Amino acid sequence: MTFTTMLSTMSAGMWKTFLIFALTLIGSLPLGMVVALLKKSRFAIVRGIISVYISIMRGTPLMLQLVAWYFGPYFLFGWNIGNWRFPAIIVGFVLNYAAYFAEIYRGGIESIPVGQYEAAEVLGYTKFQTFMRIILPQVIKVIMPSITNEVITLVKDTSLAFTLAYQEVFSLAKQISASQTSFMPFLIAGVFYFVANYVVEVVMAKIEKSMDYYK
Amino acid sequence: MKKRITVLALAFAMVFTMIVATSCGGGGDDSTAAKDYGEGYEFKQGFDLDYRPYSYVDDNGENGGFDVEMAQAVCDYYGWKYTAVPFNWDNKDAELNAGSCDCIWSGFTINGREDDYCWSKPYSDNTQKIMVKKDSGIAALADLAGKKVGVQTATSAYDLLNDEEGQKELADTFASLEVFDTYTIAITDLKAGAIDAVAVDATRAAEAMAADDSLVCLDENLGSEQYGIGFRKDDTELCEKVNEALDALAADGTVAKIAAKYPEIEEYITLGK
Repeated sequence: MTFTTMLSTMSAGMWKTFLIFALTLIGSLPLGMVVALLKKSRFAIVRGIISVYISIMRGTPLMLQLVAWYFGPYFLFGWNIGNWRFPAIIVGFVLNYAAYFAEIYRGGIESIPVGQYEAAEVLGYTKFQTFMRIILPQVIKVIMPSITNEVITLVKDTSLAFTLAYQEVFSLAKQISASQTSFMPFLIAGVFYFVANYVVEVVMAKIEKSMDYYK
Repeated sequence: MKKRITVLALAFAMVFTMIVATSCGGGGDDSTAAKDYGEGYEFKQGFDLDYRPYSYVDDNGENGGFDVEMAQAVCDYYGWKYTAVPFNWDNKDAELNAGSCDCIWSGFTINGREDDYCWSKPYSDNTQKIMVKKDSGIAALADLAGKKVGVQTATSAYDLLNDEEGQKELADTFASLEVFDTYTIAITDLKAGAIDAVAVDATRAAEAMAADDSLVCLDENLGSEQYGIGFRKDDTELCEKVNEALDALAADGTVAKIAAKYPEIEEYITLGK
């Protein structure tokens, strides 16, 4: 197999890796906010459920969760899982990352002193206005570095989809390496992940920079 | 405000779920309903893309190998639609039972698993071998005492070495039995000197020895066996249809033609001989 064939075969996997990455972010960033706010719910039972959810998501390996999401419907209900591979991967990633994002959001929200809520109330802001105009702009600034961390981890975690033999970059690297008895595919995969993360770093730095208001 | 944000985010999450659900098409089709194996039937071959020369990524980056070409030939014979379902070898049973594929067709050993699947007729002979480096000084199974031996997880070589009625006694003399994800890594470890021997199918060993002449197999066999196609136990009708097709393809010379493309295993193919 020539180097160009190897590269073009693997580029199909790069697109699939990107798909996992993008869908996970689109799903888990907002879902994380829901989870963070539910964890501060006034109902103890809701708080309890959310705590258990976060504990399980953070306390078990993502690889195991992916296997559970994929094979679970069959083992629990005996369903046929013909086209379930990709959705299972996305569900697994979104729910896992939402738990992490939720804790980052919570940390950010709780870092805002109570005095600001009181001041906003005195000034006649509604609760919604307070959150959107006073709290959130500060929270986003505080949590950006942590979010960047998670996003970079996500780029690398997409490789865990190989457990379900989804043909993303890492699975393909493994298979081509086996078939061609060459370690070149792993090198290509390594460069791909590095470049992808470099792009993430640059983009996130730009976003952080655009948020240097209040200075 | 909390409520409004929650509602907003929830709505977003719901839309997202719907997009994912619809874009991926209806999962779970009818596995229990009677199937029509007429023209256009979608035949899903489950296989390991890491099992050269039976199923692997070929020089053009396409799925290839003897088993893959045979499955495609069977599909052509009936006018079926061929679908490739590459899976991880250690998940093969879950994949098969859960219906993501119709069969396990990837250098799959019948011996020891006779009652677990609805088996096609055997199409290839195989023996279990011990592969070592030429200069290792290991010449017989007895020399393996105190050595590190590698094997791929969930393979018949692995089962054989862990079976009381198989070669467990021999395996107990090893310093350790190292279990690998793939034979590629096990064989690389052998070449790199991290392990002393690899217990592997003769066909896979032949392929490795063709690529690197510092490797050699012991004359003694660990065991001998045959490859077949494993279907779900209740899929007898599909199994029969594939058997018929295999016979027809052997009779018209298609099998011999495909086998000729894989000289390292040609002598092992039993179909039509």
